[in-house]
Amino acid sequence: MILDERGRTAGNEVQWKNVREAQREVSEPSSVSTQQPPALVVSNVHVTYGAFVAVEEANLTVNEGDCIVMIGPNGNGKSTLAMAIAGLLQREGTVHVFGEVAPPGNAPWMVRHRVSLVPERRQLFPHLSVIDHITLGCYAWTRSLRAARTSHAFEEAVELFPELKPCHKQLAGTLSGGQQQMLALARGLSANPRVLIIDEPCLGLAEVVSQRVYAALKQLNNQGRTILLIEEKPWRALQISNGAVRVKRGVAEEITSAAELSMMAAGGGEQ
Amino acid sequence: MIKLGDLVFAGLTNGSIYAILALCVSVLFRVSGIINFAVGDFAMVGAMGAAFFVQNDGWNLALAIVVVLIFIGLFAYVFDLTVLRAAFESRRGYDKVTATFFYTLALSFFIEGVAFHMFGTEVHAAPELWSGYTLTIAGLHIQRAGVIIIGAAVVTGVGFAAFIQLSLVGKAVAACGENAFGARVVGIRQGSYRRGTFVAMSVLAGLFGIMLSPVTGFVYNSGSDLGWTGVVAAAFAGFTRPGRAVLMGIAIGLAEAFIGGYISTEYQEAFLYLGLVLIILCYPGVLGAGNLVEVD
Repeated sequence: MILDERGRTAGNEVQWKNVREAQREVSEPSSVSTQQPPALVVSNVHVTYGAFVAVEEANLTVNEGDCIVMIGPNGNGKSTLAMAIAGLLQREGTVHVFGEVAPPGNAPWMVRHRVSLVPERRQLFPHLSVIDHITLGCYAWTRSLRAARTSHAFEEAVELFPELKPCHKQLAGTLSGGQQQMLALARGLSANPRVLIIDEPCLGLAEVVSQRVYAALKQLNNQGRTILLIEEKPWRALQISNGAVRVKRGVAEEITSAAELSMMAAGGGEQ
Repeated sequence: MIKLGDLVFAGLTNGSIYAILALCVSVLFRVSGIINFAVGDFAMVGAMGAAFFVQNDGWNLALAIVVVLIFIGLFAYVFDLTVLRAAFESRRGYDKVTATFFYTLALSFFIEGVAFHMFGTEVHAAPELWSGYTLTIAGLHIQRAGVIIIGAAVVTGVGFAAFIQLSLVGKAVAACGENAFGARVVGIRQGSYRRGTFVAMSVLAGLFGIMLSPVTGFVYNSGSDLGWTGVVAAAFAGFTRPGRAVLMGIAIGLAEAFIGGYISTEYQEAFLYLGLVLIILCYPGVLGAGNLVEVD
């Protein structure tokens, strides 16, 4: 088994069974996680839309430095669970963020505690400029425009996608789909998160743009950021992740079968 | 014959009021999706409240203005807390825009009813902020109250634009209007912004009502006429563009003055609304945000 610097296997030759254990031995951030509380602990989370149960008894643990991919068919509750964790939907059950209990339905609390969501379909502001979006990401931790624009988080978000620099004054609504996705990630990053929840980052994007987005995600994870990634088609996500959760008919369960994960990472298998 | 310059000044004076009310309507709509039909009634409360305290109780004008504006702010705060918040936080699946449309319409009738019982049908006017004879400049007769109103409208417009452009909180206000869900994603509490905007816009309308009252005088139902004109001006900007709403308010004020000066004062409003209807028929896109860009 060939492991990269963070304990991941190269290419599709994935031997998933021991990757997380190997990673803990090799990687410094993960070895710290044995002493610190996990980044996210989701316990018995239950989300309903009226009488319709969208998420039922979801349980998952994400350690600091992990990149976990949440997979499952469309309409089975992945995005709902992501939004419930991020405080954008009311829920039952508990969510712990680095050991602290997160109040349900409180998105400002989550971003203040450095959990940032990059939602499905980006949810940008069409008439605001690229630079305004990155600035607004800083709203999580400041109300000062000057403090935001001179911060390390702002600079890091700007540098994440240098290809956006020529369009800093451009309105978000006039960007291409790929540029919008990059902007959504940059906005999420300027909140200075320790945990990034990213929902369908490659939805509707060309292959070359998807590769660019995933390169950025890998870079963020290598820098020690915890990532919870939601993907309907998980083969690409499984290349950079070190664990997976399946959400099916509103029930979330960790995938522990090495064979199944290897097959999905190679682009096959049922979801 | 009335001089063109006098008509322009009168049009700008009324237009400034319409512009500010249109600004109030469109900013609140952008932040929360609420069309505030009671905005003119807050102007009426400001005017008649200040007049009441000064003329009946002999209060100092500045004190009366401060007390009335605090009252308006508190009233708007309580209305948001008890009615608008309930509408927005309800889990029932009704359309919030439609519901709040009727809530603010009901608020307008409520304020009018209370004002009728308190003040009757008499005309009331607060004292002028800048008292004295009408100014004569280059042969034009210029009311001091008009100068105050136009000046205050310019300061308000420039201040608002600066607030949006130069502060993070201003950008958060713009973000709420652009995409409420996106605003929540970055941690903006839309409910707080809705409440703050509703209170601020109500107080602003009250302040301009006080400034306008020496020019036109107010009766208990003057507010609804003003409010409707503000809503119409905002509608011509698709409700979402404060800058365009301000320009439309000024255009309506000027058109009203020219119709009154050159055609008929009796049918002033009839001609005005006929013109507006014709514009809608010829250019229906003017009511929507026809050139909005979309985020997929």
